[in-house]
Amino acid sequence: MTTVLSPHPDLDDNILFDRSARTRWRIGFDRWIGRLLPLLFLVAILPILGMVYWVSEQALPTLTWTIIVGQSPYATDQLGVPIIGTFELMLIATLLSVVLGLFGGVATAELLSPRAASVVRMTANMLVGTPSVIIGFFGFFVFVLYFGWGLSLIAGAVTLSMFMTPYIFRTADLAFTSVPRHIREAALGSGAAPTQYILRIATPIALPQILTGIFLAMAIGVGETAPIVLTTTAGKLAPTSLTSPVTFLTAIIWDGFNQGSGSPFFVLAFQAAFLLMVVVVALNIVVRVVAARYQKRLEGLYQ
Amino acid sequence: MSQAPAPASAGGREPLPTAAPEAPARSSSGHGLSVGRLLSGIPALVPAAIVVAMVVVLLEKSQLELLPGFFSSDWNPSIAHPQYGIGVFVAGSFMTAIPAIALAMAIGLGIGIGGTTYLPRNVSRLLDPFVDLLAGIPSVVYGIWGFVVVGPYFGAVTNPWLYSHLHFLPGFGGIPPQASGQGLPLAIFLLTLMALPITTLLIRDALRSVPKDLWESGLALGATRWEVMRRVAIPYSRRGILSAGFLGFGRAFGETVAVAMVIGSVASFPANVFGTTYTMAAVIFQTVDAAQGSSNYLQALAEIALILLAISLVVNIVGRRLITGFSSEQISGL
Repeated sequence: MTTVLSPHPDLDDNILFDRSARTRWRIGFDRWIGRLLPLLFLVAILPILGMVYWVSEQALPTLTWTIIVGQSPYATDQLGVPIIGTFELMLIATLLSVVLGLFGGVATAELLSPRAASVVRMTANMLVGTPSVIIGFFGFFVFVLYFGWGLSLIAGAVTLSMFMTPYIFRTADLAFTSVPRHIREAALGSGAAPTQYILRIATPIALPQILTGIFLAMAIGVGETAPIVLTTTAGKLAPTSLTSPVTFLTAIIWDGFNQGSGSPFFVLAFQAAFLLMVVVVALNIVVRVVAARYQKRLEGLYQ
Repeated sequence: MSQAPAPASAGGREPLPTAAPEAPARSSSGHGLSVGRLLSGIPALVPAAIVVAMVVVLLEKSQLELLPGFFSSDWNPSIAHPQYGIGVFVAGSFMTAIPAIALAMAIGLGIGIGGTTYLPRNVSRLLDPFVDLLAGIPSVVYGIWGFVVVGPYFGAVTNPWLYSHLHFLPGFGGIPPQASGQGLPLAIFLLTLMALPITTLLIRDALRSVPKDLWESGLALGATRWEVMRRVAIPYSRRGILSAGFLGFGRAFGETVAVAMVIGSVASFPANVFGTTYTMAAVIFQTVDAAQGSSNYLQALAEIALILLAISLVVNIVGRRLITGFSSEQISGL
């Protein structure tokens, strides 16, 4: 505080305008802690920038179009096969988890009693908190061994969808629950049937947030390693059937790490990491932009 | 997400009616509970079904019996008379996750307090997404970055410096740290970064939920911002802050790939604070391939997975129960 002119100079010794050492210390402490605490943001910002810079520095000088689209058999120098593999895995896993998560979320938000809904929400949260390696291990036992699908595209995709479903489930639930109460009551009060309300009134309002949830689940899913590594095996070529072996980007990084520096895989690992980061950061930005716009619209509906 | 959570009215919200209003009530139970309602509620059970299936399968694979010496710390699954002691892995998981969550809580509280109280709104709105973005980076990228960039730095600079200055302390002496930097400090460093987003987000949520009245009365009474924060805002939001600790711990405890890349993967207790060891998640991930031939080996892994799952679920349930309603963690899905 710079000098504060008190309106009553004769009261300056009064507690109100106390300039004792203790008060100066209190005010000074507040000011300095306010300058120091925001520096902790650097703990988050520096690693992000460091990682992005380092991965780009490692990958960009050698990254060519051929590496991205080239499909040399189980490539040590090209990423076409793992990119197609990632795409196919994500496609199947996303479709499955959208179906399961969306229906589940709508049912939770609209059909269950508040008590049952809170129990169901807890189970979805539990699933989000389950370590991904356990989901992978479960997929290995059930889909790979018990169902006899082997280490394959379909086993990996179903396991991945188990991992992605609760995220879509939670955003769908939240999106439908957040439809403003007055809109819901107006619709039901003017005689809309439940299906009419869900399809014509609530869905358009909830849609942006549901899309956000789907993108988010994709961003989280595409960066997952453990569930897919445990349920698939690397293929030389892009998968041709549901039970084909499949290679994907995170596995390339994990392989590169295991082969150690000096192997061609190690170089490829950085290029895979770079592509992965581009995809994930892009999805995250889309999510944030859509979510921010959605939030504004929702606030508008509440007025 | 930097926005406050949507004002969701989760409680007191009536479920949609199943039958059209004019349809006569023909439900025998008399509570409007119809077959249609039950059927349409089934999709809501998907997550519960997955959790139950996981527990059942793991219990079945563990064959409901403990392998001899399960609670010892001798892990030698590939010798003639294999030993399956899991002590090292349980200890390793706690030794990495507890320091990591302590650090993440300290940093998260600092960021939360700084961002909500001291920084101008538009500055913190600019900086907050960086913390959230930490959650978006795939763990395998953290791992390889930790292994190639941070590890050698820890091995060449940080660890030797700590070793030479602190070796008189118990736990810091003994074998000099490895040059690769693999070991506890590196794993804790990565786990701190990975637990930071969810911790910060929940702390931020909790601090934002402090009513403005409380702030203004505190300031009007002549307290500084720090004093209001310390004595009013933090006590008021302690449940939310505590939940950040639990959920962040759950995240650090179950983290697999990044830890597997930097922990050293040695089934022995670390020699000192710089030592290499193993965690539960990492051992499952890295040895499933090797275990395929042996049913005892798989049984041991299933039992480790059960313990890991039980701890994760308990930590998660406790953490969630401390939060009421939706949190913005759900919107941004960390």
